[in-house]
Amino acid sequence: MRHAGIPALLLWLAFATHLQALPAMIRLGYVNCAACHVTPQGGGLLNAYGRSIDEAQSLREGEYNPTTNAVIRALSWNGRITEDLRFVGQEQVSTSTNAPMLALFRGRFFYRTATEFGGGVRFSATVTGENESAARPGLAYEPAVRPTPVYVTSALFSWRVRQNLEFAAGRDQLPSGVNLPDLAIYVRSRNRLGYYDAPTQVKVFWWGRRYHVNPYFFGPAGNEQSGFHETGGGALAEFDVLGHGRTVAGVNALRGTSRRLDRTLIGPYARIGFGKWGILAEHDITSRTLLDSTPATFRQDASYVQVFRAVKEWLVPGIAGERLTVQRPYRESWIAGGLQLTARLTPQFTLSVSTRIQHNQLNGRTAPAVTLQLAMKTPN
Amino acid sequence: MNKLAVVLYLAAVPEVVFGAAVTAEGGTASFMVTTTVPGISVKGKSTALEARAEVQHNPEGLRLEKVEASLPVKSILTGMALRDEHMRSYIFTTDDGKIPDLRFEAGGTACAPQPGRTAEFSCQVSGALTMRGVTRPFSIPLKIRVENQAFRATGASTVKLSDYGIGQPSQFGVKTADEVQLHIEFTGKEAPDTITSGGRR
Repeated sequence: MRHAGIPALLLWLAFATHLQALPAMIRLGYVNCAACHVTPQGGGLLNAYGRSIDEAQSLREGEYNPTTNAVIRALSWNGRITEDLRFVGQEQVSTSTNAPMLALFRGRFFYRTATEFGGGVRFSATVTGENESAARPGLAYEPAVRPTPVYVTSALFSWRVRQNLEFAAGRDQLPSGVNLPDLAIYVRSRNRLGYYDAPTQVKVFWWGRRYHVNPYFFGPAGNEQSGFHETGGGALAEFDVLGHGRTVAGVNALRGTSRRLDRTLIGPYARIGFGKWGILAEHDITSRTLLDSTPATFRQDASYVQVFRAVKEWLVPGIAGERLTVQRPYRESWIAGGLQLTARLTPQFTLSVSTRIQHNQLNGRTAPAVTLQLAMKTPN
Repeated sequence: MNKLAVVLYLAAVPEVVFGAAVTAEGGTASFMVTTTVPGISVKGKSTALEARAEVQHNPEGLRLEKVEASLPVKSILTGMALRDEHMRSYIFTTDDGKIPDLRFEAGGTACAPQPGRTAEFSCQVSGALTMRGVTRPFSIPLKIRVENQAFRATGASTVKLSDYGIGQPSQFGVKTADEVQLHIEFTGKEAPDTITSGGRR
């Protein structure tokens, strides 16, 4: 049963997003996401400053000029509504030891919107449609959520009380350490941070020049399997250690309970940047307790490290290594590594190619994969 | 007779007074400026700092004379090409479209030895900094370490843009602070043939 998870893992890999991590902005002294993104958790729509950075870091290195078209201004409520359509197309070729080659094309559309109502109140949402679902791997102790072709990955009401304090309620992915957009990496896929994991939640973001604190409370998203509707809370806290905006260390702590499974996660992480180089690292320790007739507690360790170098601002290669171990009775031991190259041609077009090789240390099977991805979005 | 006395004196106390022209090329100058948005600060760096001074050893420590430093604006990089362009345009370009180098000049400065460290000295170098063609008084504390014939100097200070008539740059709601933190670091070498006041080590 444990090894039968390989095809599922390959399918999951097939929809990994290998966009160059926005945490990589640490190399330029951006210690948090709120500077460039509409929501302080990062990901999703960019604010005007973020769009100017997006443009500046693309191959064409242009200036961002907000539209002055009267019709568009009126339709966007004089700039209060930000929205775009995004498409990510991905062709992946993968295999594993003694398994046939698998070629797969997946396409996913996103509609992303955010409306500022004034007084710091905002509603933001992301709706997704796809041709193939890609749930995170189902595990013996934690089944995958039920995917749907159309899914609301985020719907949040937010209130930015001050420039550095925001409350948010709705559904979204939970806050996470280095916050990479690649959902296939162990620190995400094995900790309920998959694509369809959008728990109902209330969270607070409080940040300053050297700190970022993010407590959160969450309940079920509604698409979990019976007995796994999780409720809990946690907090993410990080600090710019040297005060130069390039050495952020933090920890994410979470406790979740459901009728059949409890889990506790402690995840230290770091984002370090120096010149054109950067390092992203995270190690998540998850203790799970199955609450069936014979409760079993076992530990999972998931590690991730990535080293990247911005050869050009728009061209960023990186190399990543991962490790996953799960204790008995669900023993697993995986190592993985890969290369990736991301080219931001324009703010609207990003091309990336990546390789990833996973090796199961228990049965000796290896699963390599090569992925070509094109991400497109409409201007805003 | 007087000359003989001087020679005998210098021979007996060889490190009392001597001076040398010290030049540094490829020094590092970096800056950091905060912005109105928490989480964004702008940093830049140049490795083209050039400095020159006459250095004299005396019983009280070091004495710096004729301190001159310059930094080509085009050598300052922030890691983002467009931001570099903005910086040159908003900060360093004069009304007539020129981008003059940053220049610093100072007169005599005494550097005292650090307590318990015979090869380390500290001093406050006060002079004039010229930026975008505007010259204003500027002062920077320097720490100097003497190793063989090399002088390794580090210093940090703050520049107020408004002192030079420069407005705080702003980009889509993100505005930099008026005060820019500077840090410099360079290693200068004595040129043996330019010893200016005799003596020997």
